[in-house]
Amino acid sequence: MQISYKWLNSMVELPDDIPYLSDRLDLTGTGVEGVEKVGAAFTGVVVGHVLAKEAHPDADTLWVTTIDVGENHLDDNGTPAPLQIVCGAQNFNAGDKVPVALIGAVLPDGTKIRKSKLRGITSFGMNCSGRELGISEDHMGLLILPEDAPVGQDFAAYLGKSDYVYDLEITPNRPDCMSAVGLARECGAIFDEDVDYEPRTLVGPDETPGPRQAITTAEDVNGLVKVTIADDERCPRYTARLIRNVKIGPSPEWLVERLASCGARSINNVVDVTNYVLFGLGQPLHAFDYDKLARDADGRVHIIVRPATDDEPFTTLDGTARHLQPDMTVIADGNAGGTDGTPVCLAGVMGGLDSEVTDQTVNVLLESAAFSPAHTSRTSRNLQLFSESSLRYERRVDDAGCADNSAAAAQLLAEVCGGEVVGGIVDVYPKPTERPVLVFRPNRFCRFVGADVPRADAIHILERLGCEIRPLDAADAFKGVADHIKAKLEKKTDGFDADSFIVVAPTFRPDLTREIDLYEEVLRLWGMDKVVETLPGGRERIGGRTEEQVRVDQIGQVLRACGLNETMTYSFCPADDQDKLGASTTPNTEAVQIINPMSSEQDVLRRDLLPGLLRSVAYNQSHGVEDIQLYETGRVFFAAEGRKKPKEDKRVAGVLAGTWHPQGWNDPARPLDFFDAKGIVENLVRELAIPKLTFKELDADAAPWLQPGRAAQVLSGGAVLGWVGEVHPRACAAFDVKPAVAAFELELNALVKAACLARPYVDVPMYPSVEHDLAIVVDKSLPAKRVEQMIQSAGGKLLDSVRLFDVFEDEKKLGADKKSLAFSLSYRAKGRTLTSEEVDRQHEHIVAKVTRATGGAVRS
Amino acid sequence: MSLLEDISALQDKTLEAITAASNSAALEDVRVHVLGKKGTLTSQLRGMGQVPQDLRAEVGKTLNRARGAIEAALEEKAGALAATELDAAIAAGAVDITLPGRSPHPIGTQHLINHIVAEASEIFADIGYTVVDGPEVETDYYNFTALNAPADHPSRSMQDTFYVVDRSGDVANVRGESDVLLRTQTSGEQIHVMEEQKPPIYIIAPGKVYRRDVADPSHLPQFTQIEGLVVDKGITFGDLKGTIDYFCKKMFGQDRRTRLRPHYFPFTEPSAEADVSCGICGGEGCRFCKGTGWVEVLGCGMVDPNVFGFVDVDPEVYSGFAFGMGVERIACLKYDVPDLRMLLAGDMRFLRQF
Repeated sequence: MQISYKWLNSMVELPDDIPYLSDRLDLTGTGVEGVEKVGAAFTGVVVGHVLAKEAHPDADTLWVTTIDVGENHLDDNGTPAPLQIVCGAQNFNAGDKVPVALIGAVLPDGTKIRKSKLRGITSFGMNCSGRELGISEDHMGLLILPEDAPVGQDFAAYLGKSDYVYDLEITPNRPDCMSAVGLARECGAIFDEDVDYEPRTLVGPDETPGPRQAITTAEDVNGLVKVTIADDERCPRYTARLIRNVKIGPSPEWLVERLASCGARSINNVVDVTNYVLFGLGQPLHAFDYDKLARDADGRVHIIVRPATDDEPFTTLDGTARHLQPDMTVIADGNAGGTDGTPVCLAGVMGGLDSEVTDQTVNVLLESAAFSPAHTSRTSRNLQLFSESSLRYERRVDDAGCADNSAAAAQLLAEVCGGEVVGGIVDVYPKPTERPVLVFRPNRFCRFVGADVPRADAIHILERLGCEIRPLDAADAFKGVADHIKAKLEKKTDGFDADSFIVVAPTFRPDLTREIDLYEEVLRLWGMDKVVETLPGGRERIGGRTEEQVRVDQIGQVLRACGLNETMTYSFCPADDQDKLGASTTPNTEAVQIINPMSSEQDVLRRDLLPGLLRSVAYNQSHGVEDIQLYETGRVFFAAEGRKKPKEDKRVAGVLAGTWHPQGWNDPARPLDFFDAKGIVENLVRELAIPKLTFKELDADAAPWLQPGRAAQVLSGGAVLGWVGEVHPRACAAFDVKPAVAAFELELNALVKAACLARPYVDVPMYPSVEHDLAIVVDKSLPAKRVEQMIQSAGGKLLDSVRLFDVFEDEKKLGADKKSLAFSLSYRAKGRTLTSEEVDRQHEHIVAKVTRATGGAVRS
Repeated sequence: MSLLEDISALQDKTLEAITAASNSAALEDVRVHVLGKKGTLTSQLRGMGQVPQDLRAEVGKTLNRARGAIEAALEEKAGALAATELDAAIAAGAVDITLPGRSPHPIGTQHLINHIVAEASEIFADIGYTVVDGPEVETDYYNFTALNAPADHPSRSMQDTFYVVDRSGDVANVRGESDVLLRTQTSGEQIHVMEEQKPPIYIIAPGKVYRRDVADPSHLPQFTQIEGLVVDKGITFGDLKGTIDYFCKKMFGQDRRTRLRPHYFPFTEPSAEADVSCGICGGEGCRFCKGTGWVEVLGCGMVDPNVFGFVDVDPEVYSGFAFGMGVERIACLKYDVPDLRMLLAGDMRFLRQF
């Protein structure tokens, strides 16, 4: 809401210290988003007095003037001293008052005034013409001011144009502050000042205040206009007045300026008056061209407030043809046929093109009404049509004010547009809003706030806000108080003590319906800053994290220790991510569709973390970063038919591309591959003490996003934890990623579930072990893990551990499709030192069994 | 030359050789040459049998004395040489300690946002809060209705909402909207928690939230909030102020001050926005704080009795406060991140800074 300081100040005395005013507004709940000095397109210009005028010694057309600018220029002793200014104008004399631009002044064309020399004589400013100040076209000479112009006064202030426009953030609970009067009342409460305002005297600043009577005709508007409200939920009050013989034309200057200070453009005098009342009193109005409205059987205009019919066509005054829905309310003009009439206005939102006021309009039918906030809000959102009216109606317009506001508007129309107001008002008011009657418990309030707020302060603040206060011993004190509260008040229970008082809230404050609402008012105006800071006592509380959170933190720590950098990507993704991967990493699932995405690139919720990470890899690679190690912990979402909310799963995923680090002085750069990702998964599993870890080969059908032969499922016993592998080159290409990219994606819940809290203790060996190596040449396709398992199972009691330490391939030495696997076997007995004979025996047994089972040969 | 003189000469010669030995190997040569199995002195000792009886005692004594002297000299020299050689080895082993260290890989980094979430979680866990977690896809009820946002009230359009397709078959009032949405605030967690447990409640709930803002340097359609909720007997507005002040001092520094500005949120009353004194100018007013000396950090307020009504908590018995802060905002205040989009790009050069 934009509001002029001058306008507010005309209703309530404001501090003239602008920063202080801004601070007070901020600290009482009216956020100041900006303050702009307006009204004059120049700064640094003051009223000057020409003390002397002498001819320039070296120029025929120039004058050297001595100008008194009051306290704007001081000598070294701090006393006012006149300025020497060289001037080329011819129309002035010593003794004249003229506008003077001081050094540093900025003129409307952007000229900045500097000290300068003209033909050898220094000039300390500039005497100005009307055109130079942008206030007239006259450039023939200086602007000569009246003799009584006060020397030294800021020229903008002298002109009366100096003003500040406040841009205020009005919270949705304060519709009353969407008007000048409401803000004046708020300021009255903030600064404890009276608000001098009568609704019927809303006049321009040049007019004499005080109630005046507009010229009225002898007719009664009720004989000319009839109003029917079909649904009082949608329209609790509708009033109509008629103003005859208006002359459409431009608005007077004061009105144009006032609207400009509210951020509105002048249209014509009638529309401007309605907007002025909207900004001034918060009452949206609509002006119909009376002669364009249909007449019913008895010759009257019949205004019908009713729901729109399904798909009812209507062209709003912005020229857009629209199709309405029954949830929207229209103003229709009933015709002689007695039907529901044709829409002429979309209630509370915008008027119709066919009945709007034009240059030819003579008679104006003025609507001043209240409409349902919910319907207005939905209508605006459904049509994407927002107006100053709808902004106010959706926050609630006080129905109690409709008639008075209409009277103020009619009077202004008569004054500004030269019309005559037809006597009377059509006022259909089926559902007046009642004033809430509340009880304020000052002692409970103090306990709630944690401060001693004097009862008298609370009462005073509430009165300033327009509340009526009734002490408990007043006559009719309990009138309107809810019965159960009355009972407590009488018995003085539940904090309803003798200090309690009754508060009748004003109807223009729809946010004051409960005692707590009054607490807020008193606290914010008494001062939140006065409340002493404390910490809650709370004896029964214990803080901490859940097991899942502890695990998630632990997983992050391990992954970082393993060299991965945590990132975060969008939960949204394009719908074709799965096509790019070849399939979702979670098969047979459906994506959650966003109804109103920002773009088609973000129209579903992700089902996998991998695509987002691949986009980050592409981002890095396209920015010249080749070594990439990222992980993310986040959610994936799955929709299901018949289910309102999707399933949300937590995952952790990582990607590795390039090398760990570039070639070092003692450390070669090694391309990251499958085993780097697998190693990280193994570390993670070790840290979480997840038992029975296995890796199962994934084929192209099971995991099309992974390169076959470099893809594995990660399991703990029978439970699938996720997958690890190198991303398929085709998937890489689809995401504009340069291969190779090693990756993994694991289910967080599965990890947490499989994680063990405790690890079993195993005795540290007391007796030495004996190591024997076994190198065996087998088929290339035989997994090393299989061979290891064979060794383990043939190992008997004495075999303590098996460690693969070399894999060797050489077509010439070993033959095609062969490889050599070298294991180190460690033998140990529990309670004694082994003899070499028994070790040899056992080793030979293992070698024999494994060579037989694999068909391999021991490599010598 | 007599035998005794021979021995004496051998001793002198050996001691000279010991002195002259320049390294352990040379010294060992000397030892072997003199005291080895076939050493000169050894053979002398072995030849004692041939020494005439009358000389035997004298020769024996002389030989033993010579051996003692030689062994002592050898030991001394060995010690000296070992020390010299160790010094030499150490000198030879010196490295350029400015060369980079060796590590299988650089250690990874935590994302700035999660780092702040962890920091805030710790601050609150230390004063007895529990950290909770909830769904990112919410129903209208949890995101708005139970938070006292009246149907079709503009407080709902304060944040533009992402709606998702409702697969249950329900239809919404406003075209393009749905009963199911991406949560616009973590405040819905207040309702979940109060449904699940009875007071006393001291929780914080960090998580992702979504609003329909075009991504630009100061906006993201996806960002992070931390919600806080306290419900107990006798909770005051002063407790809210004190908690906010405690948190801000822990998060931003003990020299910071805080203030509350009244504001409006549907689910708290009285409501306020909390400012912390500007860290750049210390509260004097500068460009960063737009001359006010204060920067906004969070929204807060006392739990509205209507919210208690939705979860069956009696506002005459209990009171409480709630707060919500934007983690990205804190990141900007603490680290001066110039473009929020960096937080979601995954740029290694950005991530590795923290």
